[in-house]
Amino acid sequence: MDKFSLFLADYKGLIPDFNGYLQGLKRPLPLYYRINTLKIGTEEAKSLLRSEGIWFEETCFEELVLVKNHDPPPSPVLSYHLGYIYPQALSSCLPVKALDPKPHERLLDLCAAPGGKATHLAQTMKDMGLIVANDRKLGRITALMANIKRMGITNTVVTQARGEHFTWGHKFDKVIVDAPCSGIGRYRMDETGHIRHMKPGKTDLPAIQKGLITKGFDLLRSGGIMVYSTCTLNVEENEEVVHYLLQKRRAKLTPWDPPVPWSPGITRFKEKEYDKGVGLARRFYPHKIHSVGFFLARVVKA
Amino acid sequence: MPELLRPEDRLGLLAFLKDRFGMAPSSFEAYHIYAFKRQAFLFRRQPGKIDFPKSSFVRCGLPFMRLVAGYLKPTTVFLQRFGHLAWKNILHLDKAQIGRLCLEGEIDLGLESIDAQEIETPGYIIIKTGEYILGAGLILDNSRILCRFPKAMRQALVHINDL
Repeated sequence: MDKFSLFLADYKGLIPDFNGYLQGLKRPLPLYYRINTLKIGTEEAKSLLRSEGIWFEETCFEELVLVKNHDPPPSPVLSYHLGYIYPQALSSCLPVKALDPKPHERLLDLCAAPGGKATHLAQTMKDMGLIVANDRKLGRITALMANIKRMGITNTVVTQARGEHFTWGHKFDKVIVDAPCSGIGRYRMDETGHIRHMKPGKTDLPAIQKGLITKGFDLLRSGGIMVYSTCTLNVEENEEVVHYLLQKRRAKLTPWDPPVPWSPGITRFKEKEYDKGVGLARRFYPHKIHSVGFFLARVVKA
Repeated sequence: MPELLRPEDRLGLLAFLKDRFGMAPSSFEAYHIYAFKRQAFLFRRQPGKIDFPKSSFVRCGLPFMRLVAGYLKPTTVFLQRFGHLAWKNILHLDKAQIGRLCLEGEIDLGLESIDAQEIETPGYIIIKTGEYILGAGLILDNSRILCRFPKAMRQALVHINDL
């Protein structure tokens, strides 16, 4: 049995409308564009997109549109190269919405590349305050810097360090840990039944994720808020990692009402039982939100 | 590591922007200007002092300007974001001209066209099409326009007229 078959067997009873989930795997990942309000108004950007042949529909987020053109959509060359849009899944907007950053706050994005969340933070903060956007790999840092430049952002410092070893001279008001993960939320099935977007490798992801969530939490000021997120549905990379933090630190999950359908965090899986607080985490299933499957926990430092 | 520009150097850069493009220096009061690797960066002013970590620092802020062959060159990304503050040395091109500029790297518009748009030559210019600021260009020999867009953008805009 391959990894994904094992996943399906384990999660059949946990994923709501499991048949809907399986059917959803056969549809391609939808394309969304986030409008960069630092450079252009949403209505003006939408008008330009229309003139570039993009059909779209509105979403629950004013700055995000869902592209409706059939595969492949035309390329909105002007909108893209002028930094008016950022292709970004609806799910990837959720951490920024949950964090609710304010201008003048100091934020850390611990695993920032290629920059979707960091640039979204910057526009939400009106390019004020401070964002430290960190990542580990040079190749990914290059993409991160290119996107920060393209979006015209001035409030961001880019650093290159292993997240677990990241240091800074002061604590942050808010932190995003969008951890590297197995990416099961992105899986799609081609016509032959083959799973696309599957990541190879045998990295011990939960060990890395536990290191990252702990470091992110330690870098928070007292009363600060951290969002831990992944694009996987795997409990070992989500609830178990959050449970680990709750055991190791004085952390507390806080509720958040997302504007899209969600399910609570899983508190019992196979033989394991997790801290009840983990139930305040949010799971987003791809067939329910018409985007990448996602997990998010909003943590406050006591 | 980045170094905060000395006040006289900062004034020099802002004076250039005022002189060349008419941008008011006061528009940049909310920003620090840092020098790093022979380039100037515009970085949102912070309430406290920032000690950038030596071991992990890569970059701060938005690439702003650099010195090229004796000229101060504003970056395309800076002009895309702040070019709306300018009121002079802005060259309007139609999509066909943009496509040709991106394909050939330079175009000659002829003196008449340059004079009509009141472009001061030689020097850097802001290139616009319709209401959109595309980025930086350089005008030489009174009417030769050189493309100074980033490579990927230049390649993508070659076919702008067909889009």
